[in-house]
Amino acid sequence: MMGTGKRTIKYILVLLAVLVLLIIVSASIGAARISLKDTALIISSFIPGIKNLISTGSITDQDTVIISQIRLPRIFLSIFVGIALAGSGVIFQGLFRNPMADPFVIGVSAGAAFGATIGLVFVRGAGLLGISATTISALFGAIATTFLVYYIARIRGKVSVVTLLLSGIALSAMLSAMTYLIMLLRVQDMAKIVFWVMGSFTSASWDNFIILAPVVTVLVSVSAFFMRDLNILSLGDERAIQLGVQAERVKKILLVMASLIAAVAVSMSGIIGFVGLVTPHILRMMVGPDHKILYPTSAVAGGIVLLLSDTLARTMLMPREIPVGIITSIIGVPFFLYLLLKSKRNVF
Amino acid sequence: MKKNKNILSARNLSFSYNQEKVLDDINFDVEEGSFISILGPNGAGKSTLVNLISRVIDGYRGKIQIGGRDVRNLSSREIARIVGVVPQYTNPGFNFTVAEMVMMGRHAYISRFELEKKEDFDKVNEVMEKVKILSFAERKFNELSGGEKQRVIVAQALAQDSPVLLLDEPTSHLDINFQIEFMNLFMDLNQKEDKTIIGIFHDINLALQSSSKIMLLKEGRIFGFGGAEDILNRVNIKNVFGSDVFVGRNPVTGKLYISPNFNPEIDWGISGKPGSRDLRIHVIGGGGAASPIISLLYNNGYKVSCGVVNTLDTDTDTARMLEVPYVAEAPFSPVSISSQKKNLQFIKASDIVILPGVEFGSGNFSNLVSVKKALDLNKKVVVIDEKNIEDRDHTGGKAVKLYREIIRQGAVVAKTANQVLKYLS
Repeated sequence: MMGTGKRTIKYILVLLAVLVLLIIVSASIGAARISLKDTALIISSFIPGIKNLISTGSITDQDTVIISQIRLPRIFLSIFVGIALAGSGVIFQGLFRNPMADPFVIGVSAGAAFGATIGLVFVRGAGLLGISATTISALFGAIATTFLVYYIARIRGKVSVVTLLLSGIALSAMLSAMTYLIMLLRVQDMAKIVFWVMGSFTSASWDNFIILAPVVTVLVSVSAFFMRDLNILSLGDERAIQLGVQAERVKKILLVMASLIAAVAVSMSGIIGFVGLVTPHILRMMVGPDHKILYPTSAVAGGIVLLLSDTLARTMLMPREIPVGIITSIIGVPFFLYLLLKSKRNVF
Repeated sequence: MKKNKNILSARNLSFSYNQEKVLDDINFDVEEGSFISILGPNGAGKSTLVNLISRVIDGYRGKIQIGGRDVRNLSSREIARIVGVVPQYTNPGFNFTVAEMVMMGRHAYISRFELEKKEDFDKVNEVMEKVKILSFAERKFNELSGGEKQRVIVAQALAQDSPVLLLDEPTSHLDINFQIEFMNLFMDLNQKEDKTIIGIFHDINLALQSSSKIMLLKEGRIFGFGGAEDILNRVNIKNVFGSDVFVGRNPVTGKLYISPNFNPEIDWGISGKPGSRDLRIHVIGGGGAASPIISLLYNNGYKVSCGVVNTLDTDTDTARMLEVPYVAEAPFSPVSISSQKKNLQFIKASDIVILPGVEFGSGNFSNLVSVKKALDLNKKVVVIDEKNIEDRDHTGGKAVKLYREIIRQGAVVAKTANQVLKYLS
């Protein structure tokens, strides 16, 4: 038996290497072509300590601005949203012991969409701290929905998984209906709403990133300390208690954490499906079901998957952009199905 | 560790589920190092009791103490270090390896902020070795057979390194070989490692082979708690389970065993409490031929006596176990005059004399003479003629002659022990 620590570090290092490579490639492509070497130099120049060691003399200020102010914020935003969605997906699948679970299973997406719709249609303010009113409204919708679902599902201090799923589905259906109703009543805003719902990083900026990154980092890191519990919870609550897990408490903490992580991500990016559902599955095939390894690797892989998807989204039909949610599904689903068919192992 | 200390106690323990009393005023003490079987029909509250001790369910009234401390004041990790549970099934939501599953048993020893330490790996290896799963430690749990899976679960519980093991029907879905293997393991843990074992077992005989004490539960109350000899008799089992059984003794292990009575010919109508019927019956014994009829009569509430039998004879064991009065002769010795006299006294005191298919030689020929005398005394005699008298006459024809005479003189001839029972009722 190899120590989980060593295995995790090994996997994470490989994934981080892929991620760094992908960041450089992604930053170099776009309407303005910038060579890989220049891109690497520009990015390196932002790293303290390295700046003085390299010469950026041959690089135009324009390229530096394109990379630092347009591409990098978008790249890093998509990475952190990917981390959030995949991390949250692992937690939800673990908690529900169900392969169908994803970050949106208890209504985060419908709540965010409804909140965003309200923001887009009714709020005419400029937002807060450089964050748009739509984002704030979406975040509020997502969190409010999650807590409503959670309190509906609470019976005598215990959270029933089945009730949680059912009330999540029910509330999602209602919120979606209300979103559609608003869209019909305000046809002039329909396109905006649809685009938001399909998910996009078009309006990415460092302002968004500065808010998102620390929140996601803290929430994802804190949750990481509950992964042994999550492993044992998959044996059922009773068995988990017998082995010394505070089942109810851990479930509550992880539910709140995973919901918050998803809510923050979704409010920044719109509803990007599939990443949170499939990344954990792909990683489970690769590293096994142990959440202590699965969770951190899935999170990093989620960043890779979403960055890759967003890079394709903004470059495939240049100069047009495709909503990234469409890319994740169109490219990701066949890939996932291929893995499913190839994999002889029963992962669930 | 000092022995004979109470490691687990319950005081006025009651638990209700949806206003229905599941456990009602339970009180007991479990001594350190004992092996206790909890028996009772479905719905008696056995699993609830186990779940309360491991704090899987809460909201009970009364008090449970483990290791001298109130369970309510212990954290779930602390409880897991004192009490390990082996459930009937475990179904992990994900396909963990065997080693990963066993490592979960170490949860109570690993802080949230650290990884598994060397001592955890050592313990996991040790218990995997003990239950013989080390060779497939890296295999996937879901791909194992039922018996192998259960070994992993036992290892998981053993990894908890707890002084108390709670077994919740750990083997009831397994084949007999696994049941025996697991019982041996649990007995070993009890005897060699001094683990206190409290188990719910489906199979009463399995429980009887291993336990030092039996707790009988009926409708949420303790019906009896003590040594098997005191607790498990036909009346209690009939009372608790509503089933008719024979209680016997395993001649090899000396432990009690029960076997179901499926015989529809037997009238179990009235209470089978020993001695509840007025009819006194004396059975001629010898060579084990009388044992079936003695236990049948005893179990049906008749007042039974037996004689003359040799010490070490199966019939003597049966009589002694059932506490049936008997006349015994020294081993392999002929029946003495004084024994014959005692036998006749029993015959005189009884209403019916039964002669089962005993083998006759010169040593016990006097028993046959006693039967003849019973007829002369106008006692009813029933002969169980299940085996030809010629084949069991080792006296050169004397026994056959007397046997025929006994039948001529009016002894009732039955073919089987059950026919005797029918005749008696």
